[in-house]
Amino acid sequence: MSQSPSALSILWVLIERDLRTLVKSPWILISRTMFFFIQLFVFATLVNKLVNIPGFNYFEFYSVGAVVSTITSIAFIIGADLFEEEELGLLDYLLSLPFGHSLFVFGRALGGAVRALIYCAPMMILVAYLDGMLTPTAVLGSYVVLFVLATGISGLSITLAMVIRNENRFDVVIAMAELATVRVSAAIYPLYYIPKVIQPAAAVSPVTSASDLIRLLVLGTPTGAYELVELALFVAIFFGLGSVFLFRKLEGGRFE
Amino acid sequence: MIEFRDVWKSFKNVYAVRGVTCTVQDKEIFGLLGPNGAGKTTLIMTMATVYRATKGDVLVEGHNVNTEPERVKELIGIAFQDAKYDRILTAREILQWHGKVTGIDKSLREKRIDDTLAKFGLTTEARKRTWTLSGGTKKKIENAKIFVQRPKVAVFDEPTAYLDVPSRLMVWEMIDELRDEGSTVVLATNMMDEADRMSDRVGIMSKGEMVQVGPPDKLKGTLRGRDVIELKLKEPMPELLGEVTKVEEVHDARFEGDVLKLELSNGRELLPHMINVVTAKGGQIQSANLKEPSLEDVFLHYTGTKLT
Repeated sequence: MSQSPSALSILWVLIERDLRTLVKSPWILISRTMFFFIQLFVFATLVNKLVNIPGFNYFEFYSVGAVVSTITSIAFIIGADLFEEEELGLLDYLLSLPFGHSLFVFGRALGGAVRALIYCAPMMILVAYLDGMLTPTAVLGSYVVLFVLATGISGLSITLAMVIRNENRFDVVIAMAELATVRVSAAIYPLYYIPKVIQPAAAVSPVTSASDLIRLLVLGTPTGAYELVELALFVAIFFGLGSVFLFRKLEGGRFE
Repeated sequence: MIEFRDVWKSFKNVYAVRGVTCTVQDKEIFGLLGPNGAGKTTLIMTMATVYRATKGDVLVEGHNVNTEPERVKELIGIAFQDAKYDRILTAREILQWHGKVTGIDKSLREKRIDDTLAKFGLTTEARKRTWTLSGGTKKKIENAKIFVQRPKVAVFDEPTAYLDVPSRLMVWEMIDELRDEGSTVVLATNMMDEADRMSDRVGIMSKGEMVQVGPPDKLKGTLRGRDVIELKLKEPMPELLGEVTKVEEVHDARFEGDVLKLELSNGRELLPHMINVVTAKGGQIQSANLKEPSLEDVFLHYTGTKLT
């Protein structure tokens, strides 16, 4: 017979599963990695030559945004995973395993964030190196920001997966959400140049906050403490919402 | 011990389980028999805390699934009807993960995985991603999770579906071993031979209700008096009917073509005597056949429907 594993080891095993399944889908990783490198070394290099603003280096600006948008994209996958697990009936198996629903919810959101961070960690080192700030403080600080952002995005993705019941609709909504989260932000272009109508939304975007905070760490670009508050608020709202929706689905919807 | 106390489960006002009350004893193999849609899987899922009963209680080793679900889940392992695991992973990875999450020590886990894969002849295929494997192999891996976990309460939902005959026998042997080691086994099946061979007791489910519970032989015994002897004669001899019905245990006798059909009690004991009666009157018997009530007859008797 077996011993009951501790909550921590359960959390780790849940995260490990998310890591394993991601590693086993190399085309997702390869396509997103290729996108990152092409955008960085082709798009950003080219645009940098076209932009002529004194004291502004678009390549450096974009490099940070590229990592932030990549981690956003990876963190969104967790919702699709959950949706698929529900469709395939895998959720029944997971719910029969010896851990509580709240631990399961926490583990899945955390798993989405951890695997996104692990995937983007080398990219962040490369960007810090290219931007001339390859220091432990800059890199570790950036990791913290990226992890916090990924946790919030995982929560948002789980929320969408729990609210939307139709698979096709879910694919469209998740693609739109990903697009909006990255494009309506200052990840890949400065806030000042964003059309006025979406500027307020971009200003409070968590992706903007994460990008600005990492730019502070690796480029020394000044930013306000409010970015931290915005990011924390986003995480609190969506990690909380995602958890509540998933928990309600497990306790409510399935347990009629 | 598992106790179902007036368990009801509905999905959007449609009741899949209706007032099931029964007990599964420690270290027994309890066969849950019924056609698809009878409520077997829903009852199992309710026991495993995946579904919450609409009404009633399920107690596993004294722990209520509604109030102590985590304690119950520590005791239970389920091999589902369809393979439920990450098909992107290999069989070994699936079993390793299942072993880890159910708290099996690494060395023991690896030994059990090696043993189970070897028994199923899957040592080589265990390196392939499971989505590439056949339906039977996927089913073996689903069962293998429980043989690696070896839980206190092992639940198998149609464990031999999609399997060939040697694999079925292997699974039956492994389930027997599991019970011999001290596990209580709940075996949901719609295969009569499986329920008959494997179960210490059988629960017959129909339309969400548990219509009868008991050892297979005892259930068959409830249909005593329903044995049938068929004697194929060279030619019909209606005059024999009067002779054979003189035997007290014979309830009915008739000819169907050249076959003399006798419905009686204790057919096994009376077969030689009935042959003597017929041959003494000049009947030339070409073949004799004894039909005793099967579990299928029991099922038909209690549910009014055939299983297959």
